[in-house]
Amino acid sequence: MKYWKFIITVLVSLVLAGSVQAEEQQEKTHKEKYAEKIKAMEETFWAASQAGKTVKGVFVEGNSFFNGTTEPQNRPFGKPYTAEELYAAKQSAERNSKIFLLAEDGTLYYPCPRKGERVTQSEQAHRMPRVLTKQQKAEGLFTWSTQTPMVGRTIEVYGEIYPGYAGVKGIHIESIYFEGEYIVGEKD
Amino acid sequence: MAKKPIISVKSIFYTAVSLVWIFGLSAIGHIVMVLIEKYNPAYKFTFAWQMAITGFVIIYLTRWMKSDGWQSFWGTLGGLGLWFSFEYSLMYGGERMGVCYTWNGSYPEYRLMKWTFMMLLMVFTYLLYQESVRCNFIFFLRRTLGLMRTKAIATGKIGNYGPRTAFEYIMVTWTFYVLLMIAYDPELFGPHSWFTYMLFFASFSVFFYLTYKLLGYGKFGANLRYAIPTVTILWNDVEILAKWGLLKEPWVHINWPIMSVIIAGFSISTYLIVRDLRGRKQEMIESNDVM
Repeated sequence: MKYWKFIITVLVSLVLAGSVQAEEQQEKTHKEKYAEKIKAMEETFWAASQAGKTVKGVFVEGNSFFNGTTEPQNRPFGKPYTAEELYAAKQSAERNSKIFLLAEDGTLYYPCPRKGERVTQSEQAHRMPRVLTKQQKAEGLFTWSTQTPMVGRTIEVYGEIYPGYAGVKGIHIESIYFEGEYIVGEKD
Repeated sequence: MAKKPIISVKSIFYTAVSLVWIFGLSAIGHIVMVLIEKYNPAYKFTFAWQMAITGFVIIYLTRWMKSDGWQSFWGTLGGLGLWFSFEYSLMYGGERMGVCYTWNGSYPEYRLMKWTFMMLLMVFTYLLYQESVRCNFIFFLRRTLGLMRTKAIATGKIGNYGPRTAFEYIMVTWTFYVLLMIAYDPELFGPHSWFTYMLFFASFSVFFYLTYKLLGYGKFGANLRYAIPTVTILWNDVEILAKWGLLKEPWVHINWPIMSVIIAGFSISTYLIVRDLRGRKQEMIESNDVM
């Protein structure tokens, strides 16, 4: 096999060639698209925030909330749990107990996919694009977050709101704003 | 047993180049995944298949390579290709099952990987008793625990180091991912537990020990193979520092100035390895104690 170098080059090139060429052509487009998407997301969020169309609240863990083990609705806003409750709530959340958004005005929201989507998965497995202030950008903070690490923290979200059922509304979160880093805590 | 390293300028050069190459490979592997996720997430599963096919093809083709240096070089790349596809397969599985991130930020694919620990132990048990295995750590365990009926050291010629190197890359990476995930699990230990601190300091110490041993392998081939566990052990510290919030990984936060230095280091080390291997085309080593 004295032509192995030739064969390896051809085979590897064949596998990669199509996508690499496509990637080269699309790379700029993808990058531009991403930048445009983020810019539009931020502009929409800040405009909605000024117009009072965002929802301020805290993420609460559903199992302990619905069986009454915890009562975040009866605690001061921004401090829905004691340290012990928070530890248990986060453990349950990462075991896929559903997470709800308890708004400052007491409304309960169920984070869900966009209306019309049929085969969907738990929103807890999704990344939510994060809106950052200039200072947060300069600090190089995470540009996205997921729900589980945010349980118990004050957040502001923008998205489509649905009527839901029996007082619990649906919300498809399009962007999220919060202070500090995505992951915090000394004993996490 | 590895002989006491004879340290020379040449062996320092080989060691440095191998370490830079393996480190660069890991860093570039990470940033490729991050860039795909950021700019074109729809492409990731296509990429996974491409990497799987490329990995298998490369490993197959090593059978025609005559020097252990080339076999190890390409074997490492083949192993990386397969590892990419393994991580993406877990990512796909995580999406199908709706696995969420943990509250200390661990990704779904690594949560799934953590529970392959028993599978890892089963594979490791096989390797522990497989007589042709030449891993120094396994020799140590065989000697210390008296595991073998015959002598614990394998001898003889190895026809192709390519698949071995790919398997070594996969096993070492898998082992340390599982170990880190177990360390991070707050229900077992936690990122700030004694276990994670022990892992951090042990990894740091073992890295220097392995680097010292690495100085004894004065050729690309054995040197590249031995650099895989050496760098991966150091990588534990990088990961733990990031978990503690003391380090912003340049490949996660896409820090191009630092990544440029890493990519440049990788390119130069690749050039030096290729130049050296082309200079001694068909040389094959026979070793008693090298993976």
